[in-house]
Parts: sequence; structure tokens; C-alpha cells
Amino acid sequence: MFPPTSELVQLILFTFFGIMAIAFAIYIVRAKNVFYGAVSLAFLGVSIAALIALEAPLAYGIYSVFHILLYVGATVTFLAVSLVMFKDLEVKIPKGSTGILAGGAVSVLFLITVYISLSQVTVISLKPINLTILADNILETYWFPLIILIIALLTTLIEAISLARRD
Amino acid sequence: MEVLGILGIIISGILIGIGFYGLSSTSNIIRVLLSSEIILNSSILFVFSFSSIVGMIYKPIIFSLFAIGMALTEVIVAFAAIILYYRQKGRLEVE
Repeated sequence: MFPPTSELVQLILFTFFGIMAIAFAIYIVRAKNVFYGAVSLAFLGVSIAALIALEAPLAYGIYSVFHILLYVGATVTFLAVSLVMFKDLEVKIPKGSTGILAGGAVSVLFLITVYISLSQVTVISLKPINLTILADNILETYWFPLIILIIALLTTLIEAISLARRD
Repeated sequence: MEVLGILGIIISGILIGIGFYGLSSTSNIIRVLLSSEIILNSSILFVFSFSSIVGMIYKPIIFSLFAIGMALTEVIVAFAAIILYYRQKGRLEVE
């Protein structure tokens, strides 16, 4: 039996963004100039955000917006713009199959571990997100990590100022 | 859909492999940082894919929000270290 049209479209889009994410990731590790690799990281971030939103639009859609705003908008843009400060951004393309074998082995081991774990879990369908519960969770249960995060972000602000200074 | 969760886990597994390949096959310090970002992205995708199968909504969102916040901090701290290294050595390759 074929899935309904909306689910089929969701599946096609998910596959498309999955292929895009893998292609951008390969470009990041194979690009001759790391600046283009950093720009490609932005597209990888957008693809990941799209994948997360497509998994459960009503539950995880809010996070994908944060992923684009915070990760792509701040982190990757900072990385790409800051790379302009360097002169020699050309990188030698690695030859040899040792790295590919190591990467493949990590992938296979990871997927085997997950497969074993998945066989022991029960599948539960997702409900739409309630933003009030999310905010309550963050402010009441996870208040301490939130404070740590705020302090860490403040220290990066000081660090950015010291980076901008020449000496 | 459970299929999307499993597909997401497979994609995150492939991305982890690519990131690990980037980490192990280069001596350029910026490429090492970019490869670690690939692994970070794949781990976030994995968290959501796994959570969509087991039916968790709030924990993956909160975990990932903290993770990308800390990733921002980590990138800036790493970049400061790279700039310091570049000023001292004049190159971006590590031994």
C-alpha cells in the first residue's frame, strides 16, 4: 500500500534534504579552500533544520527555526566572516583510503549500536508541542544550565571584543 | 512517521562518518573545526530522529537548544585559539 500524498511528499522532501546534507558535508571535508567549506556549513545547517522540521512539523518545527537563527545565523556566519582574516586558506586534498576506511567504520559501528538499541524501544507517536510546557520546563527544571549558558555567551562577547583588537 | 526517524538516523550515521573522515585525514586546524561541526549537526539530527521514534517532544528541544548555544561558545573559543596559533606560527597546519 502507498502512503497518503502528504506523507509521500514529506518522504520525498526528507530524502532530498538528506542527500543535500550529505553532499554539503562531503564538500566541507573535500573543498580546496576552507572558506567555501565554512559557507557550505551554513547550507548543511539549513538542510539539518529542514530535516528536523520534516520529522515532526508540529512538534519540532519551533526548534528548526532556532537552528537556522542561532546556528546558521550566528555561529556559521561568524566562522565564515572571520576566515577572511587568514591569508592561506588553500588546503591540500588528502589522498589515501585510511581516512575513508576510518569514517566508514565509525558509521557502521554507530548504525549497528543504534540498530541494537532500537530493537528494545517501543514506538510512540508524537503530539503537537505546547510552548507553555516548553517554557516552564526551561525556566523551572533547567534553570541552572540556562544560567551557565548565559554566562558562557557573555564571556564570548568579551572574547569577541578581545579578538577584534589587534594586540 | 517512523520511517523518517529511521531515515534520519541513517543520515546522521553517514554524517558522523564523514565528519570523522574530515577529522582524521587533515592537518588543517580550520578543517578540523569544520569537521567537528559536521559531527555536532549529525548528533543533533540523531537526537531528534531517535526522539521522534520514542515519542519525546520537550527533552530533545531543550537539549539541542543548550547544545547549539554551547556550540556558539565553542566556535568562538576555538577560533580565538586558532588566531593565536596563526599569529605565533604563521600557518594553519598542525604537526
